[in-house]
Amino acid sequence: MTFALTWLVTLLLVSLPLPMALAPYLPYWPILFVMWWALFQNYRLSMTLLFISAIPFDVLYGTVLGLHSLLFALVAYMLTMLGPRIRQVNWVRQSAVLFLVLGIAALLSYWARTLTGYAPELWVLMVQAAISAVVWSPMRMLYAWLSQFAREPAEASQ
Amino acid sequence: MRPLFSETSVAAVRLVIAVTFAVATMLVDYRLGALETVRQVVKTAVWPVEQVANFPSKATTGLIEWAVTRTQLVNRLESLALENERLRTEQLKLHTLRAENAELRRLLGVRERVNERLLQAQIERVSNDPFVHRVTINRGLAAGVQMGRPVLAADGLVGQVVSVYPHASEVLLMTDSTHQLPVQITRTRLRAVATGTGRLDQMELRNLPDTVDIVAGDVIETSGLGGRFQPGIPVARVVEVIRSPGQPFARVLAEPAAELSTLTLLMVDVSEDGVRQ
Repeated sequence: MTFALTWLVTLLLVSLPLPMALAPYLPYWPILFVMWWALFQNYRLSMTLLFISAIPFDVLYGTVLGLHSLLFALVAYMLTMLGPRIRQVNWVRQSAVLFLVLGIAALLSYWARTLTGYAPELWVLMVQAAISAVVWSPMRMLYAWLSQFAREPAEASQ
Repeated sequence: MRPLFSETSVAAVRLVIAVTFAVATMLVDYRLGALETVRQVVKTAVWPVEQVANFPSKATTGLIEWAVTRTQLVNRLESLALENERLRTEQLKLHTLRAENAELRRLLGVRERVNERLLQAQIERVSNDPFVHRVTINRGLAAGVQMGRPVLAADGLVGQVVSVYPHASEVLLMTDSTHQLPVQITRTRLRAVATGTGRLDQMELRNLPDTVDIVAGDVIETSGLGGRFQPGIPVARVVEVIRSPGQPFARVLAEPAAELSTLTLLMVDVSEDGVRQ
């Protein structure tokens, strides 16, 4: 239930009708979504779930199918490994570390897009990574609130 | 002692499997184009989410239109009446030209263009990916849209339909870096291929010899080669010809005829036969 709700909210954010000129300055919503899950709820994640949940983002962005599955798998792995250390620090340091993770995801995205016929500009991907790191804190709070909102009865009684 | 199968190695194995599947999916989709059905099913499934996301924008537009004052409406009506008069005069000229054209075609033995039909469509959303120039329009299979149909605006070509869903379609703009278009220079009839550069205000003609007769201001139109687009649709205007000493090819940069960044209404060519002679 929590996963479905946070996923739907992320789909809504990706679907927002905005001018094309704004696209390079928008946060990378799907990566923020997977970062929150990998950091705070990783015990409930599976690679299969991530793989399937990434496909609609490919369709909405119009990218080649599988690109977001690849990014999700990598980000989830990195944050599952780094998780205990990152969770302890304040939000500024957290954003700084997550910027590095987002930067690695941007490099992977650059490689995959070049492989599939696009001509991406690395600076745009890095700007997106920086903006995503800045909005990480409010997004983290939004997802935490949604998770409280959607808490199943079994969880609530714990 | 470190265990042979630690949790870390299990996670790494899962990562390798996921990455392999993801790369395989990408290659199958990109090289073979075999996942179009998956795309259609997923797009149809997320259609309600897109409608919810569109609702605030639609509601705001509706509210603004509802709140228009009487004076504004009268002014708009006056300007539309003037525009209508101008268009009626143009239409008279067009009738004469059409008759002349039909006569010339008859004399030359060239087949008449038949069943031209344009379907009006509205842009519902644009891709929020900075490198993908795709827009979703509100017409799909139900309205008769098919894959590969040319999409036009008032000033010229916009792109082509690349995915069709029951109630919507996706249009790949001609400025997308994966889009290639057979064109010709109107003045010299020189044929070339116009490639998208990933910028909404720029296209490029590549691999043209350094001595080619092209100047800034030349109009580029579709050549009709490839059988997808009718010949003669305005595409772009040449803005710069870069000739580097020692280089065998010139770089020709052009600006699209249609203002792609501010488009809202489009026309999908749903004529019965694709390209006509």
